Amino acid sequence: MASHKMSARDVNVFYGEKQAIRNVSIDVDKENVTAFIGPSGCGKSTFLRTLNRMNDTVVGCRTEGRIELDGEDIYASEMDVVLLRARVGMVFQKPNPFPKSIYENIAYGPRIHGLAENKSAMDHVVETSLHRAGLWNEVKDRLQESGTALSGGQQQRLCIARAIAVDPEVILMDEPCSALDPIATAKIEELITELRGRFAIVIVTHNMQQAARVSQRTAFFHLGELVEYGATADIFTNPTQTRTQDYITGRYG
Amino acid sequence: MSDRAPGIGGDLPVTSNPSRWNSDVMQRRVARRYASERRFRRIGLFAVALSAGFLAFLLLSMVINGARGFTQTEIKLTVNFPSIAAGVTPAALSAKGGDEALSGLDLEGLAASEATAAYGENGAALLSDGAWLTLRDAIKSDPTLITRKGEMWVPASVEIDAAAKGRGDTANTRLVAQLKTNGQIKTGLNKTFFTSSDSTDPTVVGIWGAFKGTLLTMLVTALLAFPVGTLAALYLEEYAPRNRWTDLIEVSINNLAAVPSIIFGLLGLAVFLNFFHMPRSAPIVGGLTLALMTMPVIVIASRNAIKAVPPSIRDGALAMGASPVQVVFHHVLPLAMPGILTGTIIGMARALGETAPLIMIGMRAFISSPPTSFTEPATVLPVQIFLWSDEVSSGFVEKTSAAIIVLLVFLMTMNATAIYLRNHFERRW
Ligand SMILES: Nc1ncnc2c1ncn2[C@@H]1O[C@H](COP(=O)(O)OP(=O)(O)OP(=O)(O)O)[C@@H](O)[C@H]1O
Ligand SMILES: [Mg+2]
Repeated sequence: MASHKMSARDVNVFYGEKQAIRNVSIDVDKENVTAFIGPSGCGKSTFLRTLNRMNDTVVGCRTEGRIELDGEDIYASEMDVVLLRARVGMVFQKPNPFPKSIYENIAYGPRIHGLAENKSAMDHVVETSLHRAGLWNEVKDRLQESGTALSGGQQQRLCIARAIAVDPEVILMDEPCSALDPIATAKIEELITELRGRFAIVIVTHNMQQAARVSQRTAFFHLGELVEYGATADIFTNPTQTRTQDYITGRYG
Repeated sequence: MSDRAPGIGGDLPVTSNPSRWNSDVMQRRVARRYASERRFRRIGLFAVALSAGFLAFLLLSMVINGARGFTQTEIKLTVNFPSIAAGVTPAALSAKGGDEALSGLDLEGLAASEATAAYGENGAALLSDGAWLTLRDAIKSDPTLITRKGEMWVPASVEIDAAAKGRGDTANTRLVAQLKTNGQIKTGLNKTFFTSSDSTDPTVVGIWGAFKGTLLTMLVTALLAFPVGTLAALYLEEYAPRNRWTDLIEVSINNLAAVPSIIFGLLGLAVFLNFFHMPRSAPIVGGLTLALMTMPVIVIASRNAIKAVPPSIRDGALAMGASPVQVVFHHVLPLAMPGILTGTIIGMARALGETAPLIMIGMRAFISSPPTSFTEPATVLPVQIFLWSDEVSSGFVEKTSAAIIVLLVFLMTMNATAIYLRNHFERRW
């Protein structure tokens, strides 16, 4: 039985009057990759963003319920949002490297959190992060070039490297491969598999095969509700809910 | 509700004949499209050519007129200083109180009498009224001169100067030609123009006082308007809650940017002079007044530049655990800087050319010595131009054009600096 890294209880999220998430309770495993699937607009991104409080930045967005990281309530007033986001990293759907050099992109997080004492320690962090993101060989000769000059797939891996450079405990990925070609996608999936165990990973995806390939646990959302949550193999071969069945067999979406 | 299933063409009649791309109608439509494109391009080209033509005309006429303002005709004069020394020694002149001793000397009379001696009855009329200033400055820099005869070049009068530059009447032109053959006259670069200040005599006026006044005023404006404008824009964009008060402030700022500049002058007069009792005609007050005028422009441009920073960059930084202040200073501000600097260029260029508000706060006074601090009376280039253009003496015409050239050069230098900075920020990626 895997241990829980994060757990959410009775979470409701509202955008103004409109409710986007209804009574969602879910546990995220420490050693496993958790996939969120569901039709467009069902609230996957919204729920994912509650896990590192990125919804706080959205005007008019309100979150109710309790979300814990290692048993600590992340919405408690004593929780430091800046530290929380350092512990729970995020990779976005669209690659968004900073318009700075590749080196600076990676070094930014460790620098603001004071994770590297000197230049050589920073060099080390940059190199290992790029290695782990499988990007080192492609960029090692041009670390001073702009991060935005990389290809889309490389940019996305740069963003993953940037996220793991601060050594978070959880990494949230919102459709990280939706803008990528099959080869870049395969690289990122490989990367997720490698990172598994080191970080708790949550990934939102529209690609059923991808969810099946990379995740151990799958949650199916529909209209803001968590319809079904369980081992990936069970969800895909033996769903208990008809809505899940209909969705994964492509009857609606 | 109809029972028919909605769908493509569900309610529309489906045409059976497909588009015929080769038909005459279609060909004519294509030809018309190309024609309108060509027409539009020609109109655009014409507009560009017209504005370039105006600019070229303006610059050319300025340079042709103004070039003469940078030169000055001088006349050779042998001066017998001991004749008026009356016991004043070089030591007394260089000691404390030397300036008083110097002002006791009748240099004006000396210049006139020497001119009469050298060039006849009307000799004194050849010299500028301010010719004796050259003598004074010469003694100041070398007190031993008082003990001997000296050969000096002193500024010629306005009429002689004009004649030497080929625009005098026949009598003076003949006189100049005669002096020229004797080697007693020359026209050279007018150094006085760059080192002295306003004067009633066009032959000895200079731009330095107004230039320095402009420099000090612009410094105050830039140091105030740029940081305050940028920070206000940052606050409004990044921190201010979205409510009616913010909307009100936004509308007010937009309106302020459109307020005629003279109103800012009245505001400066009422607030800085009458209420705070700051010194009249001082660069600090001018700078503050112009900063008030420039700030709204900078705020508006900065807000647009900040708005244009992609939200994904902000999200990326926040998700890394950057605090809001770090997001602003590490990401938003550097990315918005080119736009902010563009706004600053526009605002500062407008402030640089401003006369009306500065006249309101007394910067149109006649000021004959350059300001040495922010609180001393000063004038600025545009006001100086305005004052000179108002003078009756014909010698001021070319000085006005010369001052305009100086102002334009100042403007271009300032803009070039800002553009360099902007490119520096842009070049980074
Ligand atoms: N900033 C916002 N303001 C208002 N409503 C929002 C906002 N963001 C999302 N919503 C609404 O919340 C609901 C859930 O959106 P969310 O982006 O979480 O869906 P999603 O499952 O991620 O969809 P997709 O798969 O298309 O990314 C949608 O109905 C959406 O319209
Ligand atoms: Mg989404």
